[in-house]
Amino acid sequence: MTNMDRTPSQLLLDRRGFLGGAAAVGIGAGNLFSAGSASAQSTKTGTVRVWGEPGPYGGAGVAAMNEWAQKNAPGLKFEIETIPWDGVYVKLMTDLAARRPPSLISVESPIAMQMMAEGLLLPVDDMVDKIGRDRLVEGVRWDYWGSWKGKQYVIPAHHQPHLLLVRMDIVKELGLKDPDTWDWNDLLNAAKTITQKKQNMAGFCMALGRNLCTDYHFAALLHAAGGRMFDASNKFEVVFDSPETVEALTFVKEMQPYMPKGAVEYSFLQVVDAHVTGQTAMSFYWGRTLGRAAEEAKPIFEATEAFNHARNPRTSRRSNWNDFQGWCIPAQNNPYIEEVKQALLYQQTSKEWLVKYCHSLMPNVAPTYKDIANSEELRNHPFYKSKPKTVDTYFKSSLANSSSTANELLQGVNPLAGYVHGRSILAQTVQKVVIDNQTPQQAAKWGARELEAIRRENVRLLG
Amino acid sequence: MRRLDFLQSDRFVGLLFIAPFVVTAIVFMVYPIAEAVRMAFFSYNPLRPDLVSYVGLNNFEFIFSDPLFWSSFSQGTIWTLLSILFQTIFGVGIALLLHRKLFGMAIFRGLLLFPYIVPTVVIALIWRWIFNPEIGVINYSLQSVGLISEPIYWLSTPTMAMASTIMLNVWKYTPFVVICVLARLQAVPLELYDAAKVDGAGAFRRFLDVTLPQLREVLIVVIVFRTIWTFNKFEEIYLLTKGGPGTSTFNLAVYSFEQSMASLRLGVGAATGVVMMIMLMIGSVVYLRVAGFGNEEKST
Repeated sequence: MTNMDRTPSQLLLDRRGFLGGAAAVGIGAGNLFSAGSASAQSTKTGTVRVWGEPGPYGGAGVAAMNEWAQKNAPGLKFEIETIPWDGVYVKLMTDLAARRPPSLISVESPIAMQMMAEGLLLPVDDMVDKIGRDRLVEGVRWDYWGSWKGKQYVIPAHHQPHLLLVRMDIVKELGLKDPDTWDWNDLLNAAKTITQKKQNMAGFCMALGRNLCTDYHFAALLHAAGGRMFDASNKFEVVFDSPETVEALTFVKEMQPYMPKGAVEYSFLQVVDAHVTGQTAMSFYWGRTLGRAAEEAKPIFEATEAFNHARNPRTSRRSNWNDFQGWCIPAQNNPYIEEVKQALLYQQTSKEWLVKYCHSLMPNVAPTYKDIANSEELRNHPFYKSKPKTVDTYFKSSLANSSSTANELLQGVNPLAGYVHGRSILAQTVQKVVIDNQTPQQAAKWGARELEAIRRENVRLLG
Repeated sequence: MRRLDFLQSDRFVGLLFIAPFVVTAIVFMVYPIAEAVRMAFFSYNPLRPDLVSYVGLNNFEFIFSDPLFWSSFSQGTIWTLLSILFQTIFGVGIALLLHRKLFGMAIFRGLLLFPYIVPTVVIALIWRWIFNPEIGVINYSLQSVGLISEPIYWLSTPTMAMASTIMLNVWKYTPFVVICVLARLQAVPLELYDAAKVDGAGAFRRFLDVTLPQLREVLIVVIVFRTIWTFNKFEEIYLLTKGGPGTSTFNLAVYSFEQSMASLRLGVGAATGVVMMIMLMIGSVVYLRVAGFGNEEKST
């Protein structure tokens, strides 16, 4: 019997059996799952704080956990606390520093990996065994979510690439080529054509503000050019001051005239706004834009399709920045560790809840397990019928182009990425070019110096 | 017996009354300041509380060699000086208008306090909408009356972002200046104006020779307080521009926050706070001396 063949309650019985044995030898009596009892329950009471990013999927995850709590810990209530993207780093760091972390965090892999390397998270290999090590969708590995020195610290919540969203009605109207065939030059020309021919519409939009979104958008271009911040295989030497970085920055500078003028202050929300309100014909974004367009701007939803990013003409890479977002459990000052593990296990082994999680904001959060990704239940959603290619691009075909600042070009886990994003180094580098009018070479040198400072300050983590 | 006398004395009652303030000040002011000064000499990453180490003056060396510290200082100075200048001009002007006895003036005075009462976070978020280049009310209004043809990107260029943060600060805190000045205006003896009129002084002359000298003391105090509060201001800038675009609206408070929270260098953040405190102390003393605050009382 594989783990997925078991019901969540069967898995819980395994846990109870283990805890029963532990209790029998006088260990772990405080865990409160009494041995072999049909009414084995946690007697703990209170609210289990769970942090997640904005969006309904965190709530869907927590709903599953509350279902577990109703049966197994009636005194507990899991409660999601939504943290705005641009506030996630500060909120996490201040609360961890104040020693009042939540009991469970759903967070992007760069920050998860920083916390993991800092020793702030609980290893979860025992949970991975129960969830099923062979369940992951093709093209990903457990360490993409967060493993360090041989231990897994993060349980997958979803993967979430940003792609190129294109208004196909505009593309057809202007006689542009199929975006699937574009390289950077084609993208640039398309943006230019749209800007020139469509009044009050920018050709393209990406975030250029000093924020996380710009970090993520620029990272995709950097990786497509073959550039990186650090060399994971060489003691994380800084390799940012490179022709590849200059190439990516130059491309951003070339694209800027065809973006909304306000893009230099745009973050996540503003890029979505720009697309959904028709201010731009193309944008870099995750699936959330389509979800919101479906609710607020039906014609734009119907006209928009997602594509893997345009190829870098030199490397042919189409790298995206994939948010391998996972659940992680703070190891310190966390009074509900056992309950969180059980509740998370319940959610992770329930097809119904995992499908609900993905359906809560289609196609923003992609399934991480094969049995979910290939299930009929997942496909039973209107978006799958109206935009099968777009949904499949987000969910499956994008994985071949996955990259992340926490695992650059998938060449090794990088625990420094959280610090990089905390200080908005990539975004500031971009702003040196688009606001301060520095040359890409100067900006790359500045960024490299900042990255070197991060490496120097945190060399302890890299040993 | 002596102890009983003391417990029944006015002196003891006075101490009792002042005790809550002293305790509160020690807990919420003296201790944090002392802790910040102490922390300024340590390297402290909040995620690694076990690795705190004494670093001497390294944190100060770091900030004094950081170009961003100096640009934050100069931007913060510009933001403070221009904010105070406009607050003072508008504050005095509005107070003079409100000093007239007109129908409905009491209601208007009450409404004037609105920006000062509303929490900064609410105001900053509202102003973000107001400044929105596409859907903001300012651009809409200016375009409607034909003053501009293209939207102004209020927060997207360094100069405009600085101007916008100053506008917000002036709008929010001018009422404070108005209240202080108005209170003083109502205490100016009318005989002074009557005498000036008899001497043939016009309205402008009366303002220069009677009103302004009477406002001098209150304006000195208001300017000192507003300078200290504005120079230290964090939330308006952070909520409106996050210090951007780029770092063009960073002031030292935002710099300190970024060092402490984003870069996790609490020691550097604390050192910045200590430097700010020293700068403001020196600036305030020099200003009060130059302005001659309290000289009149001494001479009488």
